[in-house]
Amino acid sequence: MIYLSQMLGKPVMDATGTRIGTISDVAIATGEVFPRVTSLAFLGPDKTPFMLSWRKFVAEFDGEQVKLSVPAPEIRFSYLQPDEVLLHRDLLNKQIVDTQGMKVVRVNDLKLSESRNQLRLLGAEVGIRGILRGISPALENAVARLARLFGTHLPENLIAWNYMDLLDRDLSQVKLSVTHKRLHELHPADVADILEQLSPTQRALVFSHLDNEAAAETISELEDELQADVIDDLSESRASSLLAEMDPDDAADIIGDLPYDKAERLLRLMGVEDASAIRSLLGYKEKTAGGIMTPEVTTVTEDMTVQEVIEHLREVAEERESIYYVYVVEGDRKLTGVISLRDLLLARPDTKVTEIAERELFTAGPDDDQEDVAEQMSKYDLLALPVVDERGTLLGIVTVDDALEVLEQEAEEDLALATGAAHERGDVASLGRWVARRSAWVFIWLAVLFGDQLVRARLQAAPGGGADRPDWVLYGLALTTTASVLMPLLLRTGEESSSRAVAELITGASEEERPSLGRRLVTEGGVGLAVAAITGTVAFGLLDLQTGSERLAAVFGAATALAVLLTVLFGGLLAELALRRSDADKPVSSAMLSTASMLFAAAVYTGLSFVGGWVFSVLG
Amino acid sequence: MRMAAAPDTRRRTGLLAVLAAIGPGIVAASAGNDPGGISTYSAVGARYGYTLLWAMLAMTPSFIIVQEMAGRMGAVSGKGLAALIREKFGLRPSLFAMTCLLTSAIATSVAEFAGVAAAMELFGVSRYLSVPLAAAAVWLLVTRGNYRNVEKVLLALSLVFISYVAAAILARPEWTDVAQALVTPSVVPNAEFMALTVGMTGTTIAPWMQFLVQSNIVDKGITVRDWAVAKWDVIAGAISANVVACFIIITAGAVLFPAGIRITSAEEAARALEPVAGGYTTLLFSVGLLSSALLSAAVLPLTASYAITEAFGWERGLDHSWHEAPVFNGIYTFIIVFGAAFILIPGMDLITVLLLSQVVNGVLLPFLLVFMIRIVNDRQVMGPYVNSRLANILCWSTVVVVFGLTAAMFGFQIAEAVGLL
Repeated sequence: MIYLSQMLGKPVMDATGTRIGTISDVAIATGEVFPRVTSLAFLGPDKTPFMLSWRKFVAEFDGEQVKLSVPAPEIRFSYLQPDEVLLHRDLLNKQIVDTQGMKVVRVNDLKLSESRNQLRLLGAEVGIRGILRGISPALENAVARLARLFGTHLPENLIAWNYMDLLDRDLSQVKLSVTHKRLHELHPADVADILEQLSPTQRALVFSHLDNEAAAETISELEDELQADVIDDLSESRASSLLAEMDPDDAADIIGDLPYDKAERLLRLMGVEDASAIRSLLGYKEKTAGGIMTPEVTTVTEDMTVQEVIEHLREVAEERESIYYVYVVEGDRKLTGVISLRDLLLARPDTKVTEIAERELFTAGPDDDQEDVAEQMSKYDLLALPVVDERGTLLGIVTVDDALEVLEQEAEEDLALATGAAHERGDVASLGRWVARRSAWVFIWLAVLFGDQLVRARLQAAPGGGADRPDWVLYGLALTTTASVLMPLLLRTGEESSSRAVAELITGASEEERPSLGRRLVTEGGVGLAVAAITGTVAFGLLDLQTGSERLAAVFGAATALAVLLTVLFGGLLAELALRRSDADKPVSSAMLSTASMLFAAAVYTGLSFVGGWVFSVLG
Repeated sequence: MRMAAAPDTRRRTGLLAVLAAIGPGIVAASAGNDPGGISTYSAVGARYGYTLLWAMLAMTPSFIIVQEMAGRMGAVSGKGLAALIREKFGLRPSLFAMTCLLTSAIATSVAEFAGVAAAMELFGVSRYLSVPLAAAAVWLLVTRGNYRNVEKVLLALSLVFISYVAAAILARPEWTDVAQALVTPSVVPNAEFMALTVGMTGTTIAPWMQFLVQSNIVDKGITVRDWAVAKWDVIAGAISANVVACFIIITAGAVLFPAGIRITSAEEAARALEPVAGGYTTLLFSVGLLSSALLSAAVLPLTASYAITEAFGWERGLDHSWHEAPVFNGIYTFIIVFGAAFILIPGMDLITVLLLSQVVNGVLLPFLLVFMIRIVNDRQVMGPYVNSRLANILCWSTVVVVFGLTAAMFGFQIAEAVGLL
C-alpha cells in the first residue's frame, strides 16, 4: 500500500538516475470508481513546478522514489486537465462530504495501490490512523502495536472516491463515474442532515448546486432554527421561488420567522397564487389546526360526475399535497361532503357525486389544538382532515404527514418533561441535564452551606467574634447551621413531591378526573404529616445528642417537622399550578418544578430554624 | 459557536450601519479584560507606575490589525482559523498550532478559576468551595448551551471595570506625567519587567481570542461584502479594550504605586478602585472579577474544543453525545476540570498564577501570529484581500518584539539566577 503522505517529498529520478526534483502532487482521472493516477507534479530546482503524464513517463514507483522511463531532456511536460483532481491540493487536509456515511469529514491521508505499474486511488483515510501517520509513521506503528497489546486494533477509515463530494472544489464541470454519489443527489432529508454540519458559506455553496425542487424539499427538512437563516442567506429571487415551491404550510412557518419587511419582499416576488396561499396561513396561530393546515385542497361540486372528478384530479394532482380525499363544496366553498379516492375508483364513471359523497364528516376548526387534531386523525385512521370555519366554509386540510409530526413533537415534549429537558438536544446536554437533575439538590445544598459559611465568616470577623449579638440571634444561627447540615432531607422531600406532579402531567388526566385542590392538599397533607413526624424525630435526636439540651432539640425537631409539612403542601400546590399551565398548553419544565420546590424547602427550613432560635430564647 | 463579539449587520452600509455595528464589540472587548488582564494591568501599574503605558499605546495598532486579520480571514474564506491552518500547512504544523492553542486555553482557564477564587476569597469564602461550584456551573452552562441569557448578565456585570476610567480620573494623577509616559518608551532591564511586558502582550492579544473572533465571523455568515462594515465593530472593540486597560494601569499607577503596594493579593489590587467606590471597593471589584471570570471560563473551553476538532476533522458540536464526539466533549471538559483542579493545589498563590498564565499566552503569541500572517498573505486563500504592506510590517514587528522580549525575559532570569545582575 502507498500513502500520499509518504509519497510527497520523495525524489524523482530520470532514466539516467539523475535526481530532477521531488514529488509535490499527483492527479487522478475522475471518471472511475478507483481512479487511475494520470499525472505527476513535482518541484524541480528552485521550486519550479512541473507536471508530466504518469502513463507516458513514469517507469516505476517503488515507495522510495519515482523512476522515469526517459532521460530528463526527453520529457514533455503537460498541464493539469480540467477533469483531473489533484490529490494534495484538492483533497489532502480538506473537508469532504462522505455521501455514504452522511458525514462531513477531513481527509487525513490518501491510500493508493499499485498494480502493473498503474497507481490507483483506493480512498481517503479519514480516521485517527491517517492523523498518526501524517505526524509520523513511527507514531502510527507504535500506537498500532500498543493497541494490539490491548487486544484491539486501530481501524482504517477509508472513503472511496465515488462516495466523496468535495466542498472546496466545484466538480460540476467534471465527468464523474455513474456510481459517483454527490451531495446534491442524496435524499433531501440526508442533504439536510449534512447541511447542518456545515458553515453558512459552505451551505450556500451546496444550495447553488441544488435545483429548486430539491432545495425546497431540503429546506423543509432542516431544523426549524436553521430554516430562516438559510432563506435569509439566499438571494431574494431564489429564496422566493424556493418558498413558492414548498408546501404552503411549510413556507408559512418559515416566513413567519423572518423579519417583517424581508417576508413582505419575498411574498411580493412570488406569483399571486402562491403568495396568497401562504398569506392566508400566516394569520393562524402556531400549534393550531390553522397553523399546520395546507390550503391546497381538491374540491368538486355536487353536479359533477365521477368521470369529471377523476379528470379534474389528473389536472391538479401535481400541485396537491394530498389527493386521497376529494371534498364536495357548494356555493362559496361550503363543505357538504367528502369522497375517498377508493370510492371514486370503485364507482362507475357516470355516477353522480351526490350519490357517493359521504355526508358524515369529521372536521376541525382553525383554532383547534393541533394535538387534538392529530389524535382525531389517528383515532379514525384519516389521511386528511378538513378545517372549516364556523359557517362551514372549507379553509384547508391537515394532512397525515403534518399530523405525524405533531404526534412526534408531543411525544418528545412528554419525554422531555420526564427527563427534565427543556428542548431536544443531544446526549451530552442530556448528560448535563441528568447531572443537573439528579444532583440539583447537591448544588442547592452546597449553596446553603456556602451561605451559612458566609454568615459565620462575617460573624467571626466582627469585633469579639459576634458574642455581643442578642442571644436569640446566636441560637438562631446555631440552629440554621444544623439545619443546613440536615438540608438534604428537606431537599429530597421537595424533589419527591415535584416529581409526583410531573408523573401526573405525563399521564395527562383530564380536568374532570383530577382531584380538587382542597382534596389534593388533604391527601398530600396526610402523607406529609407522616414524613414530618419521622424527620422531626431524627432532627430532635441529632440535636439532643449534640447539645444535650432537650428543649432546644424539641424546638428544632418541631421546626424541621413543620418545614417538611409545608414543603409537601407546597408540592401539592405546585402540581395544581403546573396542571393548569399545561391545560393552557404552555410549556412546563420539570427542572423548574423541582428547583422551585427545593428552593422553597431550603428557604422555609432556614427561616423556621432561625425563628426556632427566637422561640427557644423566649421559652428560656 | 455563537458568541458575544457579534457584529449583527447584514449588508447595510452608511454611517448608521457602522454605528449600529459598533457596540457589541465594545462590550465584548471590555469583557475580554478577564481576571488575567485585570491583574496583569494592575500589577504593571503598581510595580512600575506609568512607565509601561507607552507599550500599551504601541501595542494597540498590532492588536487592532491582528483582530482585523482574524475577522477578515473568516469573512473571506468562510472557515475557522484552525481549518485554514490545517489546509495550508498540513498535519504536523497543525499539531503544533493546536498544542499552542490548547496550552493557551489551559493557562487562561487556570487564570479564570484563579479569578473566581480570588473574588470569592474577598468575601471570606474558601476556594475549595467556590472553585468546584464555579467549575460545575461553567460546565453546565456550556453543555446546556443556552448561556446566551446568562452571557448577557455576565457581560453587563463585567462592565463594572469601566469604573476604572472614573477611578483614574478621581485618583487625580499628574496628567502631564501620564501623557509623557504614553509617548516615552522606557525599559527597566530586569527579568520582572520583561515578564510583565510579555504577560501584558499575552493578555492583550490573547492567542485563543483570535480563534474566537474568526469563528464568530464565520458562524454569523458574514461575507466579504459585509466585512467592510463588520470590521468596525472588531476595531472599536479592540480600541476600547485597550483604553480600559490603560486606565487600569493609570489607576494602579496613581493609587498603588506611590503607596509602594506590590500586588500580592486580590485585596491589594482592589484597593486601586477606592477613589471611586469608597467602602464598596471590594464588592465592586469582586463582582466584576467573578463575572468576567465566569464569562471567559465558559467561552474559552468551547473555542479551543471547536478549533482543535475542526483542525483534525473530528465530530463536534454541543448536540453530539460523548459517544458521537468524544474528543470534542473531552477537550472542553478537560480544560474546565484542569483549570479548576490546578487552583485547588494547596498553597497555590493566586496572583502569581494569574500573572504567569498571561506570560504563557505572551510566549505562545508569536508562533500563532506567524501562522496567521502566512495565511493572510496567501492569495489562494484570500484572493485580493491579502494584507497590506503596513499590516505586514506591524505584524512581523510584533512577532520579532515579543520573541525578543521572551528571550530577554529568560536571559535576565538566568542571569539573575546565576548572580550576574
